[in-house]
Amino acid sequence: MKKTLTLLAALAGTTFWTTAALAQDELNALVWCDHTDDALIKPFEEAHNVKVNLKEYEGTGQALSILAQSKPGDWDVLVIDGIDVRRAVEANILAPLPTDQLPYDTMFPEMVMADQQVIDGKTYAISEKFGYNTVSFNSDTVKATDMADMTKLWSGDFKGRIAVYDYYLPVIGMVAMGLGMKTADLTLADLPKIEDALMKLKDSAASVGEVVSSQTALATGAVDILFGGGEWVTAGLHAENPNLDWIMPEQGAVRWSQSIGVVAGAKHPDMALEFVKYILSPEGQARLATSSCYWGMPTNKAAGDVLTADQKVALRWDDQPSYLARAQLYPAPDAALDQAMQDMWTRFLAH
Amino acid sequence: MIRFAVSATYMALIYAFIFLPVYVLVLFSFQDGRFPIPPFKGFSLRWHQAVLSDGHLMAALGHSFVVAVLSSAVSLLLGFLAARGLAHARLRGAGVARGLITAPLSVSYLVIGLGLLASFNLANVPLSLMTVTLGHVVINAPLCFAICASAMGAPQLAAERAARDLGAGEIRVMALVTAPMILPALVAAFLLSMTFSWDEFIIAFLLSRFDVTLPVELWSLLRSGLNPKTNAIGSLVFLVSAFAVLAAELALRRRA
Amino acid sequence: MSRALGIEARDRRRAMLLTAPALVWTLVFFVLPFALMAAISLWQATATGMIRTWSLDNYTAFFTRPAYLGAALNSIEITVTVTVLSVLLAYPMAWIIAEEVPRRYQRLALTLAVIPFWTSYIVRSYAWSLVLSRKGVVNDWLAGWGLPLLDLANSRAAVVIGFTHFFTMLLVLTIYASLVQLPPNLRRAAADLGAGPVAIFRHVVLPLTLPGVMVGAFLTFALCIGDYVTPQILGGGKDLALPQLVMLQVGRRADLPMASALSIVLMALVTLAYLAMARWMKEPGK
Repeated sequence: MKKTLTLLAALAGTTFWTTAALAQDELNALVWCDHTDDALIKPFEEAHNVKVNLKEYEGTGQALSILAQSKPGDWDVLVIDGIDVRRAVEANILAPLPTDQLPYDTMFPEMVMADQQVIDGKTYAISEKFGYNTVSFNSDTVKATDMADMTKLWSGDFKGRIAVYDYYLPVIGMVAMGLGMKTADLTLADLPKIEDALMKLKDSAASVGEVVSSQTALATGAVDILFGGGEWVTAGLHAENPNLDWIMPEQGAVRWSQSIGVVAGAKHPDMALEFVKYILSPEGQARLATSSCYWGMPTNKAAGDVLTADQKVALRWDDQPSYLARAQLYPAPDAALDQAMQDMWTRFLAH
Repeated sequence: MIRFAVSATYMALIYAFIFLPVYVLVLFSFQDGRFPIPPFKGFSLRWHQAVLSDGHLMAALGHSFVVAVLSSAVSLLLGFLAARGLAHARLRGAGVARGLITAPLSVSYLVIGLGLLASFNLANVPLSLMTVTLGHVVINAPLCFAICASAMGAPQLAAERAARDLGAGEIRVMALVTAPMILPALVAAFLLSMTFSWDEFIIAFLLSRFDVTLPVELWSLLRSGLNPKTNAIGSLVFLVSAFAVLAAELALRRRA
Repeated sequence: MSRALGIEARDRRRAMLLTAPALVWTLVFFVLPFALMAAISLWQATATGMIRTWSLDNYTAFFTRPAYLGAALNSIEITVTVTVLSVLLAYPMAWIIAEEVPRRYQRLALTLAVIPFWTSYIVRSYAWSLVLSRKGVVNDWLAGWGLPLLDLANSRAAVVIGFTHFFTMLLVLTIYASLVQLPPNLRRAAADLGAGPVAIFRHVVLPLTLPGVMVGAFLTFALCIGDYVTPQILGGGKDLALPQLVMLQVGRRADLPMASALSIVLMALVTLAYLAMARWMKEPGK
């Protein structure tokens, strides 16, 4: 009994405190779930002999509050929604990046996003991955041509056959586009019309859920359509479920993009920059694009040399120019509009 | 005879209801395909292998175990001491103390977790497995207290007085008389605490940072896609703990 | 005389010393955080944190926003349904185990009835989502027998089923415990006085086991209304439960004051249920 206790104490000791002792070799990153794939992180850890500590978060609000509650130096790397970089910079969260060390010349030009990421002449983040919130569907049960008009989805024609992705910004953006609005110009005055369509969408919805429940609903035939889905839902399933497809409706779709940057006051700014460079390298980009949590297009075209032909088909590499031309960015609300949108979304969930 | 048939049928139906999710969970952990739903495509161990080679899951298992053992040990110590203190002397305010110590039992884990999260943020305490352990002691100490208190009675009191009269110090009395006399209760309290901590999600979710416990890791596994791997880890943990429960049951029975 | 007093004082001091660690722990890690949360519920959220201006705005918001009030109502409806269903399912089961199963197999029968406790709570909810999904096991069987399919996944029904599963197991245990505590001669006496089985149950067994059932039902109520996992996994975003609304404030909006206010509302509901139970137990004749 005593021996077991000593052993347990020793075990507890190693798990709890070794990490603190090795602090100089650690990098703390606040990220989305696609960065937690070992296939992505392990090569970097081995190459630089460093331990990367990852903390997942769900929405920018949560990330900002985690950062607000942290001490300076707690975080080294931040992955954040492309449109929220400005918010983060205004809250003094991000440090400038040395642009000459990053592969801007091989990036998709649309993904440079200088409007969002360059503030007072300094670049604070770089896009690392993108894709679309659009309409995923089961091609065995639904015709692609019926999906071409987004307004059809809340007309009641597909009652009980739709799942809606539970994230307010892209879905509100999509509905706005379906109504002919521009996501960048949304104001409080536009919300009543959007809410009206949203509630009709809810009337037709069989479920509203996060990635897994949406994916499950689609893959298991519980629903035929996923509103807010896209390649990030279906690409990983493509091999076993070739009938899962996605389309960009005539009205277009919302483009999501994530950016990565170094946190201001980071304890290990040089290692953090190395990490950013690794993520933007062709290998890092290919691994991030096909990460276990969800797939998405790499922003660096050079990743095309590393991705396999099948992976590129699943990502629809060759269709990107047309998609990029028709997609709009996430809505980028100020604080008041954001509150109003979240309130609307709560009503949508409770509807 | 009719009564027996009705009883047997009812029992069978309730057992079927109770075991249905477990059956589906375990069966489709052997699914030879990407989706843990019918049709069953054939028997495969690939998802179990995937679990065993998943570093995150294995680390989370270790963390859960350490948190469960540590928090249960502290809870048992706090609960045992308090139960013994309150069992004996007629203390003024003993009722209040009892009520206070058991109060967390009726409070939602979500509320306890949020309160601790706010406090740790305010006090600048970084989140870690230590804060999770602490949170689990908050929920388990009252449980251990209640179990220990209900096991203490006149026989211990008499035996303790006898030991004290023979010159035994307080610590020796507790270790050599009280504890052995209520050993089954101590074991039960410890095991129940272990179970609760092992399976607790929301406090661990709110109070952890990089290192997470198994339920939190399972939560992110769930969020990352439909996957028979979730079935596999669920079944493995179930089989191991069911085995442990049966072993403990048999061991206790042999002692008795 | 003086020696006796000395012993009593020493006993008291020892008792206080032994109780102190648990009391201090409870004060520091339970009472203080709770008080802090009550205070925070009166503050306001800002874009990056909160400001300490005291007001009842968060509570006003709760009572004036239909979606928020609706979440509380949803939670109450779900919880009451689950509590009633679980008691109705568990009581006969506990009865059968206590009365019909031979004594030496009772423990085995009970253990079997709670074995699924040892699957992880999260995994159990997930397993129910598989069981109930459109192409899940239940519909697979129904289709096999040529019966119409059920659309149970992602609905309040799924939440109720998932919860009822868990609490039926719990209540079988607690009700069984109060059934076996009944002295057998009480029933024999009633039978000797000419009472039939139904009358014995109504006038003897039920009244004597009801307190145990009430405690189990309160436990069910308290645990069920505070749970986030089951409605989140099984509800399909159809209607929001109160804990989901709390987590929305934490995860999406980083609005700790609103989350705290909603938690206080949650606590108030549990307290009301407790008071109702305590009052019922005190009533004469029960």
